[in-house]
Parts: sequence; structure tokens; C-alpha cells
Amino acid sequence: MSLPDSDRSQYRRLLSALADGDATQGEAARAFDAWREDEDTRASWHCYQLIGDVMRSDDLAKPPARDESFLQALRERLADEPVVLAPVDTAEPAPVAVVEQPAVANARAGGWLGGRWQGPIAMAAGFLAVIGGLQVMRSPSGGTTAGPVALAGAPAASGSAVVAAVAPAAALAPVPQTQATAAQLAPYLAAHRQSTMNATFQMPGGDIRNASLVQPAP
Amino acid sequence: MTALNPDPDAALVERVKRGDVRAFEMLVVKYQRRIERLIARMVRDVDLVADIAQETFIRAYRALPQFRAESAFYTWLYRIAVNTAKKALVDMKRDPIVTQTSLQGSEDEDETYRPGMEPTDGETPEALLASKEIAATVNAAIAALSEDLRQAITLREIEGLSYEEISEVMNCPIGTVRSRIFRAREAIAERLRPLLDTREGNRW
Repeated sequence: MSLPDSDRSQYRRLLSALADGDATQGEAARAFDAWREDEDTRASWHCYQLIGDVMRSDDLAKPPARDESFLQALRERLADEPVVLAPVDTAEPAPVAVVEQPAVANARAGGWLGGRWQGPIAMAAGFLAVIGGLQVMRSPSGGTTAGPVALAGAPAASGSAVVAAVAPAAALAPVPQTQATAAQLAPYLAAHRQSTMNATFQMPGGDIRNASLVQPAP
Repeated sequence: MTALNPDPDAALVERVKRGDVRAFEMLVVKYQRRIERLIARMVRDVDLVADIAQETFIRAYRALPQFRAESAFYTWLYRIAVNTAKKALVDMKRDPIVTQTSLQGSEDEDETYRPGMEPTDGETPEALLASKEIAATVNAAIAALSEDLRQAITLREIEGLSYEEISEVMNCPIGTVRSRIFRAREAIAERLRPLLDTREGNRW
């Protein structure tokens, strides 16, 4: 496809600005489209670049057929390459845990949680998680039941950590759903703790403890 | 002064990063000759220069998502070209069948310019003549430019100044700089275009 002659001068003007990094976003987009569709635009781009190269050094003056065959060969190789798609914002790695997204989003938006408060809040959340774990491990039945209770309490402890981690972000960000979810979780967590404690008291195995080994008579 | 200039290729690079392979072609057309000359000074085997240049651009294309714009695109591409050429030299030394002819004069892997040691480029006499004609035409066209146009395009292409810096040097608005550089390019291109039409009529 070729552009009308009246447009060519205009597109060449855009190419000239693009070559020097002075084109606006809109101008650059139009120049890219023209490059894709119009062979005169492609020839002009090559011509402008060749002029610059020759001005810098005569030994960069090369016949266009050579440059053209180089590009053709490269096009064939590029056709076999996967299309490049880079993330728009690669400044920070994507968060793994979904519950952390509000805090990260707030930090990116420039909220006071961003940067210097993120560390202390994370540390506080970790500290609360440890306290929660210790609370659960303090079983009323004594040290013999610590094992099973700790195992059963593990999910509850993580749940506390999640709530603690979300709370500061939820307090700042206008996301009432997060607060409601935390509140809704509380009775379930309490019920879960209660059920696991009951399970500890109802330990099966009394029969096993009462069983005695009877040796057969010789 | 120029160290603080933004990368003139930023718009093209961003376009490629968003999946536009044709924008990468524009970068290839822009830098292919300089990259080939750099490689030719390192490898000095005319048969390998184009292959290594192709490999350089393919590697650059693959690595572009990791390009952080901490340096200019050309600086980054230059480094890839140097590394690709050095790897090719190592591979040639490892493979004696290939290296028998390729290693002549390739002991120096330095890419720095040495007068009198330019590669012959394996060009035909016709191609050499065409190259000289292109260079002579460009130089004659520049000499024929008005003082304003010549100064504007020289400050941009040879000194590497930004439009803003040129506007300060020439004491004129940036829009005028942009217009003068375009008019200078068009005046040179008008003389050059008859030489650039390929015989097959298949242009780009």
C-alpha cells in the first residue's frame, strides 16, 4: 500500500522527528503505522538514517540493496521468534499472596503505607502471628497435648496473620468488603479453635492405653 | 551535556516491548551499518560479519523485555554486538575447520579503530563505487545547504545535540530546529534518492 503524495511530506516530517526522539506519542504512532503500510516511508526512514551515518563517517555509505537484503534475512528469522511482550510496569515484582494486593496497590498509589511503613507493618504482622501461635499452644490440658493442638492451631494462626496483615491496609483503603470479611471470619476462627480444642480432649486411644500384653504360656 | 539527553530511541523501544516487531525493524535499519562496522573491526572475516550482526539483533530482540533503559538503546545494543562477536571468535578457535580461514588477522579482538586496518567488506567493485558515490552525494548536498540548515543537521547528527540544546545554540525556537533539520534531510535526500532506488524496483 502507498500513501497519497500529499501525505508523504507530512509523514516524512514525522519520521524526521521520530529519528531524533522528538516525536510526540501520537506522531510516533502515526509514523509506525506509515512504516508498516507505506514503502516510501520505509525508504525515507532508511534514507534519513543513511544520511546521518554518512555524515558521521564516509565508510558507512553502503548501497541500499545490501541493507535491504540484511533486513529481509532478519525478518525471516524474526518471524520464527516469539513476539516480545514486556510488562508495562516492572519496577516491583508481582505480589504472590492475594491478601497483600491492597497494601501493594496503596503503596504504588503513593499512600503512606508505601515505602517506609511497609517494613514495620510486615514485622508487626509477623510478631502478631507468633503471639497468636503461642496463645493457641497454651493448652489448658498441659504439655502432653501441645503437639496435636499446635497442628490444629496452625491454620488458625495463619488466619490471624492474614487478618493482621490486611487490617492496616483495609483501614486506609476504602474497601469495606475486606473489613466485613475479617469480621465474618472471626466466629469461624473461634469455632475452629473450639472444635480443635475439643478434639484434643476427646483423644481416642484410651483402649489402647488400657490394653495389656498377655504373653502366651510356654 | 548530551549525557543527560533522553534516549532518542525510547519510543521505538517501547513500541517493540508492546509486541510491535515492525518497530524493531526501524531500529535495525537505523543501526545495522554501525553494528556491522563494529563487528567487522573485531572479527575481520567478511563472510561472518553479516551473520554475527544478524545474531546480535536477534539476541537484542529476545533480551529487549529486560532492557531497563538505564543506558541508551544503542549503548546496550553495542554491548550485545561486542559480546556476540567475542563469542563467535571463541567458537571459531574451538572449531579448527572453520577457523583455518576465519582466524586470519583475528588475534586482536579489540573493536577500537585502527587506521589502515579497515575490513575490505568483501564488496564488489560496483558496490564500492556505489558507496563512494553515495558518500560524495551526501557531502555535496550538505555543502549546498544554507548555513542555518547545515548547522542544524550537523549539530544533531554529528554532535548529537537534542532539539532543545540546538535551539539554545542557534537561538531559535525548538519548532524551528525541527523544521530546519527536516528540510536539511529532505534537501539531501532529494539528491540521494536516485542512487537509492534498487534495480529490481523492490524498495523495502
